[in-house]
Amino acid sequence: MAYPYVSDREVRIISTGFGDPEQRRIDTYVDRGGYGALKKALGLEPGEVVDIVKESGLRGRGGAGFPTGVKWSFMPKEKNKPHYLICNADESEPGTFKDRELIRWDPHQLIEGCLIGAHAMGAEHVYIYCRGEFFEATQVLAKAVEDAYAKGYAGEDILGSGKTIDVTVHAGAGAYICGEETGLMNSLEGRRGQPRVKPPFPAQVGVFGMPSTINNVETLCAVPHIVTNGPDWYKEHGTEKAPGTKLFCVSGHVNKPGNYELPLGFPLAELIDDVCGGVRDGNALKAVIPGGSSVPILNAEEARACALDYDGCVEVGTMLGCASVIVMDETTDMVKQARRMVDFYAHESCGQCTPCREGSAWTAKMMRRIEEGRGTEEDLDTLMSATQEMVGTTICVLSDSVAAPVQSSIRKFRDEYLALIRRGERVGAA
Amino acid sequence: MAEMVTLTIDGRELSVPKGTTILEAAKQIGTEVPHYCYHPGMSSPAMCRLCLVEVEGAPKPMPSCITTATDGQVVRTQSEEALGHRRAVLEFYLVNHPLDCPICDMSGECHLQDYTHEEGPKHGRSREPKRVFGRDDFGGDVLFYGDRCVMCTRCVRFMNEVEQDSRLTVVERGSRSVIDTFFDEGLEGTYWHGNIVDVCPVGALVSKDFLHKARAWDLDHTPSICPGCSQGCNIELHTRDNLVQRLKPRENLDVNGWWMCDYGRMDYEWMNAGGRIEAPLVRRGDTAQAAGWKDALGTLLDRVRGLGSPTVKAVASPHASNEDLGALKAFLDALGGAEVVYRGRRAEDEVVLKGFPSLARRRDLTPNATGAELHGARRVGSDEATGGLDDVATHDGVVVVLGDPLDDQPEDFAKDASLFVYLGQHAPPAANGADFVLPVTTFAEQEGTFTNHEGRVQRFWAGMVAPGMARPPWLVLGALAAELGDTAAAVRTAAEAFQSFGSRIPAFEGLGYDDLGTRGAIVNETVAITGEGA
Amino acid sequence: MSDVPFKNPGWAGNTGEFELSEDEVRGRDFVGERPKHAGHASGAPTMPYMLPEKNPEATLFEGEYQERFEKILSRYPTKRAALLPTLNLAQELRGYVSPESMDRVAELLDLAPAYVRGVATFYTMYNKRPVGRYLVQVCTNISCNLCGADDVLSAFLSDTDTELGETSEDGNFTVIEAECLAGCGFPTCVQINSEYFENVTPDEVPKILEHLKSRGTS
Repeated sequence: MAYPYVSDREVRIISTGFGDPEQRRIDTYVDRGGYGALKKALGLEPGEVVDIVKESGLRGRGGAGFPTGVKWSFMPKEKNKPHYLICNADESEPGTFKDRELIRWDPHQLIEGCLIGAHAMGAEHVYIYCRGEFFEATQVLAKAVEDAYAKGYAGEDILGSGKTIDVTVHAGAGAYICGEETGLMNSLEGRRGQPRVKPPFPAQVGVFGMPSTINNVETLCAVPHIVTNGPDWYKEHGTEKAPGTKLFCVSGHVNKPGNYELPLGFPLAELIDDVCGGVRDGNALKAVIPGGSSVPILNAEEARACALDYDGCVEVGTMLGCASVIVMDETTDMVKQARRMVDFYAHESCGQCTPCREGSAWTAKMMRRIEEGRGTEEDLDTLMSATQEMVGTTICVLSDSVAAPVQSSIRKFRDEYLALIRRGERVGAA
Repeated sequence: MAEMVTLTIDGRELSVPKGTTILEAAKQIGTEVPHYCYHPGMSSPAMCRLCLVEVEGAPKPMPSCITTATDGQVVRTQSEEALGHRRAVLEFYLVNHPLDCPICDMSGECHLQDYTHEEGPKHGRSREPKRVFGRDDFGGDVLFYGDRCVMCTRCVRFMNEVEQDSRLTVVERGSRSVIDTFFDEGLEGTYWHGNIVDVCPVGALVSKDFLHKARAWDLDHTPSICPGCSQGCNIELHTRDNLVQRLKPRENLDVNGWWMCDYGRMDYEWMNAGGRIEAPLVRRGDTAQAAGWKDALGTLLDRVRGLGSPTVKAVASPHASNEDLGALKAFLDALGGAEVVYRGRRAEDEVVLKGFPSLARRRDLTPNATGAELHGARRVGSDEATGGLDDVATHDGVVVVLGDPLDDQPEDFAKDASLFVYLGQHAPPAANGADFVLPVTTFAEQEGTFTNHEGRVQRFWAGMVAPGMARPPWLVLGALAAELGDTAAAVRTAAEAFQSFGSRIPAFEGLGYDDLGTRGAIVNETVAITGEGA
Repeated sequence: MSDVPFKNPGWAGNTGEFELSEDEVRGRDFVGERPKHAGHASGAPTMPYMLPEKNPEATLFEGEYQERFEKILSRYPTKRAALLPTLNLAQELRGYVSPESMDRVAELLDLAPAYVRGVATFYTMYNKRPVGRYLVQVCTNISCNLCGADDVLSAFLSDTDTELGETSEDGNFTVIEAECLAGCGFPTCVQINSEYFENVTPDEVPKILEHLKSRGTS
């Protein structure tokens, strides 16, 4: 039994259940040691659990990389109103496909992580906000939640601890922006999923106006293992500033695409050449997006120098994001792909902020025109300066995501733009 | 005393109460930071991103509409960075905003025009075809031109938060976002929707009533008080060619905030009505003859002096100003005193603006019933302002009517009166038997004050020129009283009239126009309106 | 569940070293047939099932669906929060979210109809008009696009003889373009009603369409 492709370079902690249909069954999960971490956590004071996670150095796996334990410690300790933990399972960053796998192959691992987190933060209700499109995965999760309730791992008086923690599976309805934590909160409340202005921060005023913390699926999946094995064990993997393992979602032009669990800091070159069996058809590497479509594109040379952790990506001018590695070979039409990414963001802009609402659609139209051979060199300057005004000027960072593919592709693959422009000029002249 | 913080905006240090936003603080030094989504009467979504300013130490430009002033903060609203952001945001707006200013009602008072003119990019760089939404009838008085919308959502928030009848919403998302109602539901049956036209910073929401009627720059604006009910909403009369073209609310946080109701807003055509009496009419024998004021008043005084000590009954109007009512009282007192009644329409219910609950379209559909009561008049008649005048109609002494249109009264009204004086804008059939019909101005044609339902005295100004020889009632009645020996009634301005006549009413004592300011002042005693139908 | 022999062209089938049945991959062996009232309140009620058979006239709600609606309400501190799941439920029954459905849902949740319209139009999964028995959503976003998603989309359109967003004459298929479906490692990723089909290539499209047609009303 094996997940589509495996590599002996992997360090499997949270992905052990991938490809194993038995892992979903609660009895099997428990036999394999599942819910042991929950039992252990319930025997500890909430603050002690927060400290363990803090100590492990676990950083949010949703893209921003904020230290999870620190985030948990922001929740008010006094309990005069409901607290909520929300699991962000609205996975939709292009290139990312890890959370769906975690949910459908190992739902109890996630549920256990949610329950431990809820205990640590004094939350009595966990909402798992699943992406609406995940019909099949959500059903698996719902069935697992049902099983957890039936066996006393969720609901009232969990494992005789006197704690009540409800776990609700909630489905979205198709909006990328609901992956942004405040957009998600609005969506969960039954509103348009538009991001909220911060402050107030969710730990003070979150969902339903109550203290809330939002964690990514992968983050919460790591928690039971950290509680069971201790922070020092976790820190054995990865780098000092980015401990632990991370699921790398590799897609695009590689021979063996898939999810690979690797220690943070893993060299991107080895991920492509070794783990993923190299670029398809023996083609030359042209470009890599290491963190999902909203981070700047690397050219081949930069990619070869990139170590896959938060700092390593910054060093080469990009970001780790959610470690969604999109590989592009020499046959790739960079203008078309950059345009496709911009189309996506224009489609998904919530429409609140002017720079994003107007800028993303304008950028998409310009990109389309250039792709169709009706562009000018001046358009490239306009694209650069217009997208620059979309960076840091809006409520959330979706707007910044438009700038990333546009600016990085123009900077690094300007020749391709110019070729289209020149060809268009020739056609026009004739 | 609120806790104060001291900050520096554009190099000028100022102190503001803690909690004040940078945008509001900047207003205090005369700097208006351009903005669309922010409106002081609603929540601030901080989404137009036009009001971004540079705050020292902040990693990103900050939206001044929600960023509060803090001690020691250094803000730059006019730096190259701040101007650059605004230029960029304006360019983004103009990617899709149509350049149909020549046919847009908002032209001349459009904030996109203003901002672009002041600090927008010199040239738009977009070569792309513009987005087209077209026009939509939102029902009520509102037309929506989707292409012009800047998506500030003020209209949506007004309906949600202020009127609290969520008829409007943003449909779709991203650049396809558009304001809409629930399919054909529209705005019908809402009572405050005219305000969404006011809050729209561009020409996306326009009034059907005003559509293509006048260009903004041709309109004269006169501060006034809505005469539609006893709330006393502060308004502006917008006139052109001596005709009121529309009414707009004027900010007064103590009375109406920024708002006014649709009843009041739409009830202005009567101010433009023709068919006015343009000269005093004096009955000589069987015919009423036009006369000059000197002749008319001289004749009237002669008649009065010949009557000895008559019993006098008078009908006043709750639409008359405090000055008019004071002058009427002075005249009647000079005649030896009179019983004064008034009639006014009343609605069945109040219509409260839920998000600003001190504002309502009041049951009392007259602007100055409180003033009438303070001047000793007593309410009579029905809620339709009919009936209640039997005593007056059959009175055999002197009858004086100020302003009541007497619509329900027969032609032989006051036929037994020894003297019947009618002051009004129109001569109704019931005034056919009047000995004197004196043309007076409407509130829109004169300066004066009304006293609203809570006893607040508020000023209004003349926005129109009165037709022919029509004069303010206070001038006419004051002159008559003065001739009859009340020398203090010889007033030449509305301010003097208020001072002179007001000093005789305890409630107004010590109040002058200078004390009323822009927000008015509450009178010295509370007034309960009793009388018939109260 | 289909008894037509059909090898899921999913990522297990034609890449890698994966040997599992379609049911195991989809989790159907684990989940089983979900009841209409959808089981435990904490789990299933929210699920936006997409069924081939739709009844635009269906009552919102009655019987087991009413039970499910009540379960939804029980899970949130506000009625408003039940809006998305309730719209899901309306769409499951009626096939799309019509103005009438929005109005009814608004009534059920004490919301303004315009508000419900604003929310419903924000989310792309609510069909604003009727769709075919099978709604085919082809991801054309970057990872799939790099691996030929545009050709897969063209194949679906030509094999169903439809234009984008249009329903085929036999009422079976509506093909639309989708944004990233989070199946990037298994391009091209296609969602058909509630199911994912992965590693789809243009030449597999006729097979998939035949398979769906032969399924009847399951």
